[in-house]
Amino acid sequence: MQISKLTVLCCASASFALLLGCASKPLVQPEQAIVGQVPADPPKNPVINAEALKTESKSIAVTDIYFKKEGKNLTYIEETRTTTDNSTNSVITPKVIEVDADKANASALTGGPNSSALPVKFTNLADPSATAPGTAAPPTPVQDPAVPNSASTASSANTQTQKKSGYQSNIEYGELRYLANPIRGLLIKSGYKVVQAKPSVATPNQGDEYFDIVKRIKAGDFGDASYVLYGVLAEISVTDNVDDIPGTKSTSQQVALEVTVDFNVVDTQTNQIVASFIASGDGKEVRIDGKDNNFKPSMAKLMKLASLDLAEDVRTHLADQNFITNNPGSAGQMRNLKRRLDDDPATLKVYK
Amino acid sequence: MKISHQTFHLSILSLAMGLLVACSGPQVRYGDAKQIETVNADYGSTDLQMIAEAMTRSLLQSKAISGSKDAPIVTLADVKNKTSEYIDTRVITDKIRTQLLKSGQVRFAVSISEMQNQTEELKRQNQSGLYKNSTISKTGNMQGAQYRIEGSIASIVKTNKDVKDVYYVFNLNLINNESGLIEWADEKEIRKTATR
Repeated sequence: MQISKLTVLCCASASFALLLGCASKPLVQPEQAIVGQVPADPPKNPVINAEALKTESKSIAVTDIYFKKEGKNLTYIEETRTTTDNSTNSVITPKVIEVDADKANASALTGGPNSSALPVKFTNLADPSATAPGTAAPPTPVQDPAVPNSASTASSANTQTQKKSGYQSNIEYGELRYLANPIRGLLIKSGYKVVQAKPSVATPNQGDEYFDIVKRIKAGDFGDASYVLYGVLAEISVTDNVDDIPGTKSTSQQVALEVTVDFNVVDTQTNQIVASFIASGDGKEVRIDGKDNNFKPSMAKLMKLASLDLAEDVRTHLADQNFITNNPGSAGQMRNLKRRLDDDPATLKVYK
Repeated sequence: MKISHQTFHLSILSLAMGLLVACSGPQVRYGDAKQIETVNADYGSTDLQMIAEAMTRSLLQSKAISGSKDAPIVTLADVKNKTSEYIDTRVITDKIRTQLLKSGQVRFAVSISEMQNQTEELKRQNQSGLYKNSTISKTGNMQGAQYRIEGSIASIVKTNKDVKDVYYVFNLNLINNESGLIEWADEKEIRKTATR
């Protein structure tokens, strides 16, 4: 009986030992060691080496899209001078036509053809409501040497009328604040930390130094970002075309918003341009028989589609120039993203 | 009296037979659709079948189709009828299309003649506001065809008092829509002679 109890105890001990052995965790290498063993996709661009692509240590700032809008104010002035005995009264009636620079060059006032086709509106600057804030200031007549003086002088005994014409350049600088966010999103997806850039405000009489990105880097507009992706709007256009659909009685109305942007990526340490390209995006809405039903497209929708398309084109170019080595969804991109989330102390971690 | 009885019976029998024949009406029977039809020398079902079969076989062996990784997208264009007969050439191309689709080596985009229905369906789904957005077949996502099939059928007819000779030539081309290159072409010749 004694021996039997001892045997039972021995068996129980052995069973417990086996149970404990099975229940213990298998030997697993730390997560960091696994990540370290699998390198990110090898870069081809010599500027951005493997070290640089450790995205946990690299950040990028994306500016809003710069633009420069050039226009010309055509001026047309009639001055009536009335002289009576010893006094002289002068009445000046200026008119301003705001047009794009290229259209201004085609104007009759500058001697160009097709002036009647210009979609321009005369603004009488003598009218106080027309000179409200937001409208152009009364320009000083500038006599363009290239323009033949259309002035004619009608003299009488007491009254003299003079007509003058010219143009004044009007350049506006600024940032489009709604196109860059999908680009920021794609950079976040690719593993970069995206830094918020300070907005750039145009000063009065702003010149092309507005595009001086190095000056902004030195001014600390981009925090501690390793790179700055900045884009300058080359063109934005809206087209509205109606075409027959062959083989049907219907037509197709196509309203498209197209943007073309010139991009550069600058290394903030060396001021070296590490990627440079021109990207475009378009948002299109197609409506069958839309013209018959007076279809009005949603510009908000077109803008969203155009910005997403632009971001996709940016992604393609950045990948071509090896700035983004990992395509979204690839194993390398997931590793980079995971590493960034694991190592970033600012990342919210939830332990179960 | 015996003879008149026999005559009476024969008359009744003849009358019954006559009624039976009168009630039976036209005879209808099913035949083999592939059976060679030689009613006259005009274009007929056998010609249609011969042309479609020959063209499909040749087209499937072409480099543009057999050498393509993915099944290329093709559309049907016009087959011009240059004969003096009325021939519905659409039936020929439809038959070729059916056989090509069955092979699984080619996909077909709707042709111009089918665009009205396609457009109306897209309009109904996208512009009526009645459909759940996630289930709508969206405008602007139709696939363009890489190739189009077009061709012609022509004939030469000669007759004399006793003989009618008809020669058909059916021509089909596969054209690359982007480059404009004719990637494949073949023809099927048929000669039919009818004698009196």
